[in-house]
Amino acid sequence: MAAQAKHDWADDDDLDELTTADLPPPQKIQNKDGSTTIIEYRYNDQNQKVKTTRRIRYITHREVVNPRVAERKAWVKFGQSAKDGAGPAPDTTSVGENIIFRPSINWRKDAKDESKDPNAQAMKDKLKDKKVKCRICNGEHFTARCPYKDTMAPIGEAAGADVAAGMGDDAGAGGAGPGGAGAPGAGKKGSYVPPALRGAGGAAGAGAGERMGGKYGERDDLATLRVTNVSEMAEENELRDMFERFGRVTRVFLAKDRDTGLAKGFAFISFADRGDAVKACAKMDGFGFRHLILRVEFAKKAA
Amino acid sequence: MRPILLSGHERALTQVKYNREGDLLFSTAKDQHICAWFAHNGERLGTYQGHQGAIWTVDVDPTSTIIASGSADNTIRLWEVKTGKLLKTWDFPTAVKRVEFNEDGTKLLGVTEKRMGHLGTIVVLDIKVDPDAEQSDEKVLTIVCEESKATVAGWSYLSKYIIAGHEDGSVSQYDGKTGDLIYNVNVHELGSPITDLQWNQDRTYFITASKDKSAKLITAKELEVLKTYVADTPLNSAAITPKKEYVILGGGQAAMDVTTTSARQGKFEARFYHKIFEEEIGRVRGHFGPLNTVAADPTGKGYASGGEDGYVRVHQFDKGYFDFNYEVERERLNRLAAQGGK
Repeated sequence: MAAQAKHDWADDDDLDELTTADLPPPQKIQNKDGSTTIIEYRYNDQNQKVKTTRRIRYITHREVVNPRVAERKAWVKFGQSAKDGAGPAPDTTSVGENIIFRPSINWRKDAKDESKDPNAQAMKDKLKDKKVKCRICNGEHFTARCPYKDTMAPIGEAAGADVAAGMGDDAGAGGAGPGGAGAPGAGKKGSYVPPALRGAGGAAGAGAGERMGGKYGERDDLATLRVTNVSEMAEENELRDMFERFGRVTRVFLAKDRDTGLAKGFAFISFADRGDAVKACAKMDGFGFRHLILRVEFAKKAA
Repeated sequence: MRPILLSGHERALTQVKYNREGDLLFSTAKDQHICAWFAHNGERLGTYQGHQGAIWTVDVDPTSTIIASGSADNTIRLWEVKTGKLLKTWDFPTAVKRVEFNEDGTKLLGVTEKRMGHLGTIVVLDIKVDPDAEQSDEKVLTIVCEESKATVAGWSYLSKYIIAGHEDGSVSQYDGKTGDLIYNVNVHELGSPITDLQWNQDRTYFITASKDKSAKLITAKELEVLKTYVADTPLNSAAITPKKEYVILGGGQAAMDVTTTSARQGKFEARFYHKIFEEEIGRVRGHFGPLNTVAADPTGKGYASGGEDGYVRVHQFDKGYFDFNYEVERERLNRLAAQGGK
């Protein structure tokens, strides 16, 4: 993209005439992997030269249609589209982001879980009498709903520093700020604790401190499976369908090639529950899918 | 699914319509041209130029030879689909809010606005489905809506009845030949206008959408309300999907009300309800403004929606859409499969 030298707006009319004259011709390059790279040049509204590089793979897809429909496809464009070439014109047609739409009877319920509306509070009230105890923080909620699910290990493993400090109730109430619970030395509550020491509590080596890196760093990898030897024609939906049999799947990630859109051959499946993940791992390892034998194992924590 | 975004209009969409085979999509907006699109890839076939005002409505005849459009410039115009040529213009005293061909494309009805001392009317025109033929100037029929103006109207099966939805929330049935009023039934809340009326494939029943936040499935013959779909926002459009037993509702807070309502952002989603069980089964988001119009692909493979944001979004359904069944539906299918096996 090369911006042209500044010019007076009054000269605009003259400039219009010399457009399209000094544009390099469009280029087409055949790539080794069967795709084609098309490089085109044009002027945009501000009279700047724009280079467009597109990498396209053509896939022939045959479909039998009504002859009248086929005839209409050959019609000549008219009106404002008269000058458009074959195929969708980029100024009128674009492709939106992928939307997952699968009808479900529980649609309403699912949506409510996500948005924290008053009903969530009502649910909490109900659970108070039921003596639900969280394995992570001893709070009165299900373990799966624990606010510290991603940052702390279950009590048995992590020596439960918070509870020892007598602050288990605070944690159960869902207070924000994971660092608040376990100040080292249990001294003054308000003193600053470096992120690396937060959550470590008095017990040495219990649990890693809070890490940077946003949600990706905090993801619970305990119930994540790594699936390899996946067919390159695979879709995330198919994987989800296959693994949903074993329990609630919270995330499906299928690595895809940026240019061709084909799968790279591996995927990650996160379950809400580790038990389900164990089951899925045992059952799906060696499963035949699209002419390939899947290999399923627990994902290793990123270093 | 990955929707195709069509940005051929500069202003809010008013209607989108598929042709009978579902390969062409027509869209009208408050700017002054109609767009024709190929539904499978979103390629624009062309635009129909000539209207002098906002275009409220469009319809295509069953053979996809001609389209009719109604506009705020007080005209109904007839166009050749293939070339974009204007074939005929009919003038009216007020704006035309809705046009619809009957099943064989030989008749066209138009709904005119009530304004400037003129009452709202429904007019019927004879059409020759041939781009070269001379179209007659005469109105075959004029129905005057004295009580409450009609906002939408359509032809029932065999052009037997004209069904109209009114501004006061009632639905009327007129004789298709004489124009006599047969029934007028209050189906929606009094005073909440009916915003859309769309047919099922054989035109024996239809769905109405209303500003009273509900849509209703009504028979053409007795005007009996079969089903009611309740939403949480005023509705602008409703469509019945072929192949699967769903209905699609589109709506949202009117643009002018958005800042005055506390409701959490938008509600600018297409809502899918099960046609029989009247339950909401999912939503499709995407528009940045209320949905003004939705249309279901007659092949059942997708749907299109047009919004106040000026975009048309064309969706092709995924496998999950076709696979979804209620428990009873699944049992029935299993039973049928078992019987077929014997």
